[in-house]
Amino acid sequence: MGEFKVHRVRFFDYMPSAIRAMAFNSRTERLAVARADGALEIFNFADHYFQEKVIPGQDGRAVEALCWVGQRLFSAGLNGEITEYDLENMRPRYTVEAYGGPIWTISSNSQGTLLAVGCEDGTVKMFELLDERIRFQRNLERQKGRIISLSWHPSGTLIAAGMMDMIRIFDAETGKEMQLDPGVIASKSKEVVVWSIAFLSDHTIVSGDSAGKVQIWDGLTGTLVKTHLVTKWDVLALAVSQDESSLVAGTSEGTVVQFQFIASTVDQQDKEWVRTRTFKNHSHDVRALAHTETAVVSGGMDTQLVVRPLLDKVEKNTQESALRKIAFPHRSLVCCAKKAGLLLFQFPDHLELWRVGESDGLGKPGDSLPVKRNPEKLIQLKRKGEDHICCSALSPCGGWLAYSTVSAVRLYRIQYNNISITKVSKLPKDLRSAHQLCFSSDSSKLFASSSHSSVVIVSLNQLECKHLHTLKPRSGESRPVHLLFASEDGKWLAAANADCEIHVYNLHKLKLHCTVPVHSSCPTAIAIHPVTSNLVVVHADQQIFEYSLMQKEYTEWSRKLQKQGLHSLWLERDTPVTHISYSPKNPAHIFLHDMFMFCIIDQSLPLPEAKTMLYNQMTLRSLPEPERIRHSHAFKISLPLCLLEDHSLVVVERPLLDIMSQLPAPVRQKKFAT
Amino acid sequence: MAKKQQRGETAPSSKSAGTDRRTESFSLTLASSDDEAPEEVTFEDSKSAALRSMKEALDTARREKELLKEKRRKRQELFQEQKKRKLLPTDVLEEIDSAPSKEQKQSEDEAEEEQQEAGEGEDDSRRKKKRRRSGKLPHSRNLKGNYTVTTVTERAAASFQQQTAEDFIQSRLYGAGSCRSTSKEAFTVPRLHYICTEGVFLCAFITMNTHTHRSAGLMWINPPLKIVPSKCTFSVCLSKQQV
Repeated sequence: MGEFKVHRVRFFDYMPSAIRAMAFNSRTERLAVARADGALEIFNFADHYFQEKVIPGQDGRAVEALCWVGQRLFSAGLNGEITEYDLENMRPRYTVEAYGGPIWTISSNSQGTLLAVGCEDGTVKMFELLDERIRFQRNLERQKGRIISLSWHPSGTLIAAGMMDMIRIFDAETGKEMQLDPGVIASKSKEVVVWSIAFLSDHTIVSGDSAGKVQIWDGLTGTLVKTHLVTKWDVLALAVSQDESSLVAGTSEGTVVQFQFIASTVDQQDKEWVRTRTFKNHSHDVRALAHTETAVVSGGMDTQLVVRPLLDKVEKNTQESALRKIAFPHRSLVCCAKKAGLLLFQFPDHLELWRVGESDGLGKPGDSLPVKRNPEKLIQLKRKGEDHICCSALSPCGGWLAYSTVSAVRLYRIQYNNISITKVSKLPKDLRSAHQLCFSSDSSKLFASSSHSSVVIVSLNQLECKHLHTLKPRSGESRPVHLLFASEDGKWLAAANADCEIHVYNLHKLKLHCTVPVHSSCPTAIAIHPVTSNLVVVHADQQIFEYSLMQKEYTEWSRKLQKQGLHSLWLERDTPVTHISYSPKNPAHIFLHDMFMFCIIDQSLPLPEAKTMLYNQMTLRSLPEPERIRHSHAFKISLPLCLLEDHSLVVVERPLLDIMSQLPAPVRQKKFAT
Repeated sequence: MAKKQQRGETAPSSKSAGTDRRTESFSLTLASSDDEAPEEVTFEDSKSAALRSMKEALDTARREKELLKEKRRKRQELFQEQKKRKLLPTDVLEEIDSAPSKEQKQSEDEAEEEQQEAGEGEDDSRRKKKRRRSGKLPHSRNLKGNYTVTTVTERAAASFQQQTAEDFIQSRLYGAGSCRSTSKEAFTVPRLHYICTEGVFLCAFITMNTHTHRSAGLMWINPPLKIVPSKCTFSVCLSKQQV
C-alpha cells in the first residue's frame, strides 16, 4: 500500500460550541441547531443526518430559542431581537427588535399565523407572520417576572407561559389571563424557574423546573395532577412527540427521561403519564431536546448532538436503531498548502497559520521519529467586524490567504522572508461574500462561490486583483455551494451544492462543462484526479462514484463498484468522508478520511467480497487484501489529511479528551467507589 | 458700657465686697467709686458707642461673608482647573461634535469599555486598547497620550440587559448551590474498585467512557498485597512477606 512519513498535528485547539436550542421540522425532516456562539446548523435527518448548512454566528447574537414556521426559521436571543434566516443564501434575512429586553423563548401557533415571544420585562409579544417579514401585533398583559418559556395550545387559542415561580395561561385573542396556576414549587431559599413548558391538546400542561421536577397540571382547573421528581438538579428542556403519546425531559445531569401516556396496568382504561426510560448520553447539561417520530434528539453543554432512536418505533439491530453522536462538523476546518508545508486553521473568530515541523530520521512503520524542527505558528489573524468566519482558504504556494464572513471577503498576501501579511484592499465588487473559497493549484486564481450557485473567479497578481468571470450553472437556481475543487492542471472546477448537484466547469473555456447525474444523497467530498481527470464523489450515504470528465460518464471501476455494492462495514460508518486526496507516486491510490479513520483505496486491486472482513494495518501486515481499511487506534479524530509534496502525510488530530477537559463544569455526581 | 461694667462688677461682688468695704471703711480709706455719684454718660457717647458696636458687628459679618466668598471662589477655580486637565483640547471636541457616528455598535462597545476603564483609571489598559483598535473607526482620533475618542450611543443599555440575562442563567446553573465539579474530576481515568476475597485481592479497574466504549480490565494479584485505597490513583504496596 505504501509507506509514508506522517506528521501528526495536535496543535489545533478546536473547541466546538455548546448547543443552546434546537427545533425539528417534521415536514422537511430538517433539524435546526443553534449554538452558543450564534452559529446555526441544519441537519438533514432524511440523508444520514448530514450537516447540510452552517450559518456562522455573530458577536452578541446569543440565541436562546428557535422556531420553524413552515419553511421559515426564526430565532430569538438575549440581544432582544428576532431573526429570520435565509436558508438559501445561508445568512440572516433580517432582524426585528422586540423592545422587551432579552427574549427567552419563541413559539408559533399550529396554524402558522402568529409568533409569540416571551421577554425579560414580563410581556408576551405577539407578531403577525406576513409573507416577507413579521409585524408586531400586540402585547399580552404584562407580568411581574420574566417569561422563560411559552407553549401554544394546539387550537391556537391559549398560551401557557412559564415564569419565575408560576405558570400563567393567557387567552391569545383577548390577551387576558385565563387562570392562575399558583404553581408551586415554593422553595425555601431560591425562586423556582419554570425552564420549559408544554401545552397538550387535552388541556394538560407539563412543566419542567429548576427544582428537578416534571409536573403535570390540568389546564382547565389549574390544579396539579402529578409531580415526578426526576433529578436533584434542573430540568432544562421538554419535548413532546407529534402524537402526544410521549414526552422527554432533559436535565442538568445529562440524562433524558421519557414519559409515556399509557395505562399503568393492563386492564385499566385510564391513561396517565408514566415515567418509562432514562437515557444517559451526555456528560453535561442537556439544554435542547427534540422529539421526532422515531427518535429523541438531545444536545447540550457537551457540544455533541445525540440521536437516540426509540426502539419501539424502529426495528432493532438495524442501521436505523443505532445511537448516533455527532460531535464534529461535517466540513473541513483545516486547509493545507501542499507545496509550502503550511496549515491554516479556521476558528470562528480568527485564523492561524502554522508551518509543520521537520524530521530527518528514518524508521520502521509505527516508529515515532525525532523532531528536528518544531512546528511554529507563523500568523494569527483576527477577523474584522462582528460576523464569524464562514470559510477560509490558503493557496498551495502559501502566498495568499482568504477568508469570508456573511458580509465580506478578505484577501491577504503573505511574505515569508520576515513573516508579514498585507491586506489586499481593492477587491472586485462581485466578491461580496462567499460560502466556499478555493485557490487554483498555481495560485493565480481565487474561486469563490457566492449567491445563486454562481462561482466568481478572481485573478491574483502582485499589483491588483481583477474579476475574471462569474460562472453560472443555469438560470434560476439558488442553492448554496458547499464544496469546491479545482483540478491540478487548472482545467476543471467542480462545485457541489446542497441540492445534491455537482457542476463541472471548464476553466479554459469558462463555461459549464457537464452536470454529474444527481444521486439522492448529498455529496460530502469531491476531488478531481490530476492525471486521469476523473471526478470522485463520496456522498452522505457513504456511496462512492467516479465520473470521467472527458467521456462524461461513470468509469468502469465505478460501475463495477456500484454493481457489486459497497462493503457493509463501509456503509455502516456513521461519519461522512470529508476529504479526498491522491498520491502523486501511485495514481491508482485514493486517500479518503472521515472523522475517525483514514483509508486508501487501491483501484488496481480487485474489490472485496461482501463476506470478507475489513482489517486494520496491524492485522493486515501478513495478508494481502484487496481493499484495505487502515484503522489505527492512535487516530482518535482525524480532521483533515493531506499529502505534501515530499510524499509525507499530515494528519490533524484532536483528541476528544482535550475537548472534554475544557468544557464548563458538569454537575457533581457521586460515583460508586470514589 | 464702662458704667455697666462697673455696675456689673460691683453687683455680684457687692455682697462679698460688702464685708470688705466695711472693713475698708473701718480703715478709713476712701473707696474710689462707692461714695461718688455714678459717672455721667452723655447720650451722644452712648449713641456713638452703640453705633460703633453695630458697625463693628456689620463689619465682622461682611468680613466673614467675604472670606466665605473668597473660599468659594478659590474652590471653584480649583475645580475648573481639574476639569480642564481632564477635558480634551477644544479642537478635538469640535471635531467630535461635527462628525456623525456611522458604525454605532463598534463605537458603543468601545465607549462602554472606555467608561469601564475610566472607572478604573488605568492608563495601561487604555493604551493597550488603543493599540488594538487604532485606525479602525473613521471618526476616532488618537491623541498624544493614551486616549481614543468615540461617541457613545444608546446600545449600551441593551447590551447591559443582555449581560444581566446571561448572568441570571450563569447564576442559576453554575452559581451557589449548584453542586458542580470540575471537568478534570469528572473525566479522570482509572477509578478503583476493590473486592477482597480471602487474602487474594482482586482489583478491577474501569476506564471512563471517553469515546464510545467502556473497557474493563481485571487483574489478579496473587500473593496478598496491601492496597492503599486512594481516591483517583491506583497505588499498590507489596507486603514484605511474598512478592
